[in-house]
Amino acid sequence: MSRPTQTEIEEALTCQCGCGLTVHSCNHLQCPSAIPLKQEIGEQLALDKTHAEVLAHFAGKYGEKVLSAPTTTGFNVVAWVTPFAAPLVAAIVIVVLVRRWRRRGGAGAPEPAAPAGDAADAARRARLRAELERFEG
Amino acid sequence: MIDLGTLALRLGLATAIYALVAAVLGGGRRRADLVASSRHAAYVVHGLVAVASLVLWRALLARDFSLEYVASYSSSTLSLPYTIAAFWGGQSGSLLFWALILTTMSSVVHLQNRERNAALMPYVTATLMALAIFFLAMLVFVTDPFTRLPVPAREGADLNPLLQNYWMMIHPPSLYLGFVGCSVPFAFAIAALASGRLGDVWIRTTRRWTLFAWAFLTLGNILGGRWAYEELGWGGYWAWDPVENAAIMPWFTCTAFLHSVMIQEKKNMLKMWNMVLILLTFCLTIFGTFLTRSGVVSSVHSFTQSGLGPFFVGFLLAVIVVSIALIVLRRPLLRSENDIDSFLSREGAFLFNNLLLVGLAFATFWGTVFPVISEAVRGVKITVGPPFFNKVNAPLGLALLLMTGIGPVIAWRRASARNLRRSFTWPLALGFATGVAIFAAGWRHYYAVVCFSLAAFVLATIFMEFYRGTRARQSLMGEAPGAALANLIGRNRRRYGGYVIHLGVVMMAVGIAASSSFRVEKQETLAAGEAIEVGPYTLTHRGVRSTDSPHVAALVADVDVTRGGRAVTTLHPEKRFYKRQQQPTTEVALRSTLRDDLYVVLGNYDAQSGLVTFLVFVSPLVAWLWIGGLVMGVGTIIVMSPTAAEQRALAAAMAVEERGLEPALR
Repeated sequence: MSRPTQTEIEEALTCQCGCGLTVHSCNHLQCPSAIPLKQEIGEQLALDKTHAEVLAHFAGKYGEKVLSAPTTTGFNVVAWVTPFAAPLVAAIVIVVLVRRWRRRGGAGAPEPAAPAGDAADAARRARLRAELERFEG
Repeated sequence: MIDLGTLALRLGLATAIYALVAAVLGGGRRRADLVASSRHAAYVVHGLVAVASLVLWRALLARDFSLEYVASYSSSTLSLPYTIAAFWGGQSGSLLFWALILTTMSSVVHLQNRERNAALMPYVTATLMALAIFFLAMLVFVTDPFTRLPVPAREGADLNPLLQNYWMMIHPPSLYLGFVGCSVPFAFAIAALASGRLGDVWIRTTRRWTLFAWAFLTLGNILGGRWAYEELGWGGYWAWDPVENAAIMPWFTCTAFLHSVMIQEKKNMLKMWNMVLILLTFCLTIFGTFLTRSGVVSSVHSFTQSGLGPFFVGFLLAVIVVSIALIVLRRPLLRSENDIDSFLSREGAFLFNNLLLVGLAFATFWGTVFPVISEAVRGVKITVGPPFFNKVNAPLGLALLLMTGIGPVIAWRRASARNLRRSFTWPLALGFATGVAIFAAGWRHYYAVVCFSLAAFVLATIFMEFYRGTRARQSLMGEAPGAALANLIGRNRRRYGGYVIHLGVVMMAVGIAASSSFRVEKQETLAAGEAIEVGPYTLTHRGVRSTDSPHVAALVADVDVTRGGRAVTTLHPEKRFYKRQQQPTTEVALRSTLRDDLYVVLGNYDAQSGLVTFLVFVSPLVAWLWIGGLVMGVGTIIVMSPTAAEQRALAAAMAVEERGLEPALR
């Protein structure tokens, strides 16, 4: 398994100075939080730990709030699943409702058959001309 | 003079209450005199709020430090433009600014509709005045901008240095215009529900207002990104901060509304959905203001935190309860008159577009409030930061980009195989070829490759629409290519203006994908004369110098930049120190081209050794993000410009609805 990089871990941790950014993005170059955290990340990586092990170290030491995204365990799974589950459920509801409406209202009227020949061409051109003049959206 | 401001606010509140009562009674009892009186009272409220605003502006310009607000948000050395902007730099001033925009819009709405929409207008007046009452009550009873200090201050505390940036002059007003602009379609929606007139009139009447609000929401968000890019010095423009999220959520739902109203206008469908969307959009603007004011979630935008949160929650709950009650009451009138024939149609595409936009709003909302939910459920504080939003919103955003190409081109009712082949063969081929080419070139960033492929697909659909439309005009009307293109756009402004907006969206998507995926950065400490290489650029540190003024002291570094051995520019990143607030800020030096941005931050300076730490970013294609915003603006102007066909459609819809109206209300 490939070892995590310094940048990956910095992006996975939130700076505690109040900037609201990750340790990597913190805009205070003399930040009292980001600088020691970056140093500590380096120390942890030097111990040849995995990504999860390094994050577990920081979460254990500073609390879960130091992680820049929720973990994928326990109640935090809800955070990750809901944004995808909600539109999916909504899509299913839409499909079911539309099908029910269509059954209730009957199938839509069939498309008018396309006219044929020169007369059809003329009609189509006239309609196209009118559409070009008036058509909105 | 200050007393005049206080008096104006109190009179404004009393007059707004009168206008609300008169409008409701006038509408309910069909009393034209009361309705007219409520309209006149709304004009008076606007006048009184304008007087209060002028008094506050005058106090700021006169440096009247006996006023707590002036002493807190300005100083004697603050420049004129920022002194004017200090009006909305603090809590009570920003609420007064909100009330000023709201009552101004109220007056414009009343002027526009004094001879029309007689059945809707009493309830529109009542709704707008109810909103004005909330903000004026806040200003009178909770956060008075005209509070005097017990002893006048000798000097002001100054405006927050982060707000002393030219983008901050226009970003908050833009966002406020967008937020408050949503009040107008909201008021008409409530009026349509209250009066039971749920045809097309309220939608057609407010179409331009909704576009106006949407345009300023777009502009406000883009300008906010530009401000963050230039002022915060971290090389990015969007950090999914709770307050940024608060600004983008109503944009998502408003965009969904602008698309789904087309289905109602064309097919008489989605009446209920459109109603829900505009009410939701308005609620999200209030929720956004609540987030900014309450401090319930930590944010970088904590310039104006206060204890106003509970009032906004109460107001928001009242709005939600009234909205839901009215929708339940009018449910039978909100039924669709037509059904969807097939999901493989423009109606189906717009439905999925709506689903994705509302999904994006929901995902953003969910991530913003999840720390509060987690703390309530588990008792554990957690952070939901940029990595979460990027992972969750990126797939939804890419799906939305796909729909941007499909939605406007696919046939109404039911797309035939011929329609699909004709519309999508070439765009799909181009999108696929783009993806393969990028992959073959060695770019392995998954999201970026998909985004560029989709961008190529959407661009091809837009180009084909313009090409085919122009060719059709050439062949049918015998017009020259230029005239055919101009007439094509001029006679179908909604359609082709929409394509121009989509073109801007594509540019922005490409800018975002490239700059976030392929950004190069380097931090290095240099002595004078030393150089570093970042991407294709070589930067040579030439030394630092100091500048000083009564307001701000600055340390400026001179950095020569070469590319491929050729001198391209000299950049001057600064570290500033604002004397009144005793606060340092970084002033980024930027060289922006269509190809990439070179972004230099002066970090630390060690006076003893003379060493300077620089943070340098090279972000590809980031300029296209801002250019895309401009193109969206051009498209919006095209879409908003009136057409005779639109006026005819509105007049026809009004004729249908006004037929049953009693003469007394006309």
